[in-house]
Amino acid sequence: MRRWFLIVLCAGTWVATFARASDLSVLVSERTSSVPVADAVIEVRGAADAALPFTPVTRRIDQRSETFIPYVEIFRPGDRVEFHNSDKTRHHVYSFADAKSFEFVIAPGDSAPAVALDRPGQIDVGCNIHDHMIAHLLISDAAHVAKTGQGGQVVFTGLPDGRYSVHVWHPQLRPGKAAPEQNVLIDARGASLEFPLSLLPDPRAGRSDPERNGY
Amino acid sequence: MLFVITLIVVQVVTAVLVYAVARRGVIAEGERELAAEADAVVRQLDDISSRVADNVHLLSLDYALRAAIAQRDEGTVQSALRNHGRRIGAERMLLVDLDGQIRSDTAGTRSAGQPFPFPDLVDTAFAHPASAVVALGGKAYWMIVVPIYAPAPIALIAAGIPIDDALLQRLQQVSALPNMLELIVHSDDGRWSDIARAGDATIAAATMADRRELPLQPTLVRAGASEFVALAKRIKEAERSAPVAVLLAFSLDDALLPYRKVVYAWTALLLLSLIVGLGAAMAIARSMARPIEALAETARGVASGNYTARPPSDGGREIGELAGAFASMTQAISEREAHIHYQATHDAVTALPNRQAAELLMRGTADGPPTDGALLMVGLTRLPEIIQTVGHAIGDRVMRDAGERLRDAAGSAHVARVTDTQFSVWLADATMSQAMSAATRVLEALSNAYRESDLCLDTVPAVGIAMAPEHGQEPDLLLRRAEVALMACVGQEHAVTLYDPATDPHRPERLGLMSDLRTALERDELHLLYQPKLALAKNAIDGAEALVRWYHPVRGLLYPDAFIELAERTGNIRALSRWVIEHSVAQVARWARKGCALRVSINLSAHDFEDPTLPDLIIDALSAHDVAPHHLVVELTESAVMGKPEAALRVFRRLADIGVELAVDDFGIGQSSFAYLRHLPVREIKIDRLFTRELAFNIKDQLLVQSIVEFGHRLSYRVTAEGVEDARSLDFLRRIGCDHVQGFHIAKAIDTAAIERMCGVENGFGRRTRGRCS
Repeated sequence: MRRWFLIVLCAGTWVATFARASDLSVLVSERTSSVPVADAVIEVRGAADAALPFTPVTRRIDQRSETFIPYVEIFRPGDRVEFHNSDKTRHHVYSFADAKSFEFVIAPGDSAPAVALDRPGQIDVGCNIHDHMIAHLLISDAAHVAKTGQGGQVVFTGLPDGRYSVHVWHPQLRPGKAAPEQNVLIDARGASLEFPLSLLPDPRAGRSDPERNGY
Repeated sequence: MLFVITLIVVQVVTAVLVYAVARRGVIAEGERELAAEADAVVRQLDDISSRVADNVHLLSLDYALRAAIAQRDEGTVQSALRNHGRRIGAERMLLVDLDGQIRSDTAGTRSAGQPFPFPDLVDTAFAHPASAVVALGGKAYWMIVVPIYAPAPIALIAAGIPIDDALLQRLQQVSALPNMLELIVHSDDGRWSDIARAGDATIAAATMADRRELPLQPTLVRAGASEFVALAKRIKEAERSAPVAVLLAFSLDDALLPYRKVVYAWTALLLLSLIVGLGAAMAIARSMARPIEALAETARGVASGNYTARPPSDGGREIGELAGAFASMTQAISEREAHIHYQATHDAVTALPNRQAAELLMRGTADGPPTDGALLMVGLTRLPEIIQTVGHAIGDRVMRDAGERLRDAAGSAHVARVTDTQFSVWLADATMSQAMSAATRVLEALSNAYRESDLCLDTVPAVGIAMAPEHGQEPDLLLRRAEVALMACVGQEHAVTLYDPATDPHRPERLGLMSDLRTALERDELHLLYQPKLALAKNAIDGAEALVRWYHPVRGLLYPDAFIELAERTGNIRALSRWVIEHSVAQVARWARKGCALRVSINLSAHDFEDPTLPDLIIDALSAHDVAPHHLVVELTESAVMGKPEAALRVFRRLADIGVELAVDDFGIGQSSFAYLRHLPVREIKIDRLFTRELAFNIKDQLLVQSIVEFGHRLSYRVTAEGVEDARSLDFLRRIGCDHVQGFHIAKAIDTAAIERMCGVENGFGRRTRGRCS
């Protein structure tokens, strides 16, 4: 089964190359230490993008070990988010974001009703009982959007040539400052961008519970 | 005194030093403590601020507040901030956006939209709660800035907690030293002023009065009359805040108070010791100085001759020793002085009082009347000869022996040795007869010869007596007169003579006479009187003896014996003789012109004959007045004539050659040498009145005179008898063939007018009258 998939993939790739589309590679790292940064959301917007229809999806944000998992989630407008409590304690999940404000007290094992996220924006979600729990929901209507992993790199494939603006967002960016943005021209060769970011310390680590970590 | 002053000086210097050292010590100690305290205060402030920051942080986690802030419920935010602010003691709470703008302010709405004045705090707030001291509107605050997480940072809260007087007061109560704790802020005009203080007093103004920089090291500050040590420390402030510092000070005066007390005690002690010292010094001075002064007083007494003053006996041992030494010294001095005095008043050889002592004795008491009595001058007339023969040593022994004999003989009379050969014996209140009997006793005592080993020496004593007050009152006058009397004895038979003023050739009046004499010669105070000589054969006056009389303006009439001898001794005789020659020759000339051929005899002195020009003088006078030489006769006394040297003889001869005759006066009582007489060209001898006085009834004298007349005639001399005072003598002399007589019986010395009357000259010139002149 796997062999077939691979062949098809190669074929597809080979075919794709005939489609005159290029790759954009974006690397996000920490400015001073050059460490690759995960959980950075990259939005690529091109001039020729048409409004693609998005299929609403419901994504789940889990609470496990007093941590929202994932830390950062990308949503499209129209998606729904569902909070599920996999912990043994209650969680008082809240958001005061303009995009959506909500507040749920979720018992262990329960889920909160799904919340529709209609408008693009950023929603910071916290738990009132546990100050260190934080998650970020990024609702983006950009054509291409992706989140960096541990490698700090995202590759957008099959981008038609053209001019694009690339925005990067990270939860630990200094507030009040404009989101880093770069413009790029994609051609047959593709492009590679780097975003060195000045980041605040991870609030989850700073607000760690000494009880949990052992004294 | 010096001791006391030294004491004071030392004490004062010590006190000053101690105070200075103490003060420095206190200051150093205080500075150390102040520095420590300043650090403590700053730490405390930091502690308080971090506690407050924790409070604000907790406040920032309040869900409802966070919800209100996130949902921009400004009203709720404002009231919640105020409420929560009260909880933590904040006076002012601000809500600041992430871009630094003030969104809400409990102090009012005016600041909304303004930038938060301390952006540096905002920047650091995300790492840890930012806390700093700010000065805002004249007050000091801790400004704590804390981010609000919902759950991402959405805003910041700034809380202003005032640092007020109460807080500083609490701080000050905890610490020990600083009297003053202030918060001072640096204003725009460059001056520091205090915005909070613990307590009422402030030192900020005084400290910063003349300095721009904070006293970050402990510094001495003077505020009015008090002194402080001040220290300032900067406290963490926000960047845009005016600089704030905490100022601590402690009062040096308070710190030095215990030392001040010591100084006062010291001063009191000093005064006390001063008084005690002065007292002691005075006591010592009195105990030392007084005896010493008394000793000095005694010394002065001794210096002025008072040996009886006792040296002081009080005082210490040393003073006592000094006084003892002094007393023995005084004793020795007094003895020596007594000895010297003794030696000064006594003769060493005979141990008798000396002349001065004798005079003092005769004077009696110093202020009493002089005593009456008799003074005997006892002379050993042969003593000079004895000394020349056997020497002074024996002479001294002779005198000593004589002195002892005299003392024994004199009894209670005062014996003294007044010259080297004479003793004086003073008999107070004695009569003449007592004096005489005493003199006899004395002579008897001294008549025995002095015997020593194989020497036998006769001293030949003689006594002269002078009585007081008849012969004088003054002791030394009496002594002189007694001596004169003694001299009169010498060569005489009698060994005792009473002073006779008439024969005293040493009367002091006579000394002044000589200068008077010189003037007298000029002023015609001298006159010649003439005593007529009667020629017995013719019974007529044919000559006269010229006698000098001096009409002294003060003394009156003076006879020759008053001044002739003195004139001889002082060399004035020559002038006198010259005068006599002049006037007598002139008178002869006058008489000759009047037809009165009197031969004038003049008395000259032996001294005149020492002058070889005498004959020339006479020749000149004779020729000047045109007088024949034989009218002039020169009379000399027998003793003046005898024994004269060859030169005098030549003068005699020249006079004789001229034709001036020489007459020997007072013949018979001197020492005539017939051998000598034959050489002299004498033409006349005049028998002394001694022989003619008792001629009327004294057979012996008659025989004597007769012999002289005959003897004289044989030698071809004319003989004149002097001192004829009665007719019987006159008759006798006529009978024996004496040539001339002179005497009171004929006439005394009379002036020229009287002579002329006697001669009948006034009856006319050349007429021979029945005068008695021839």
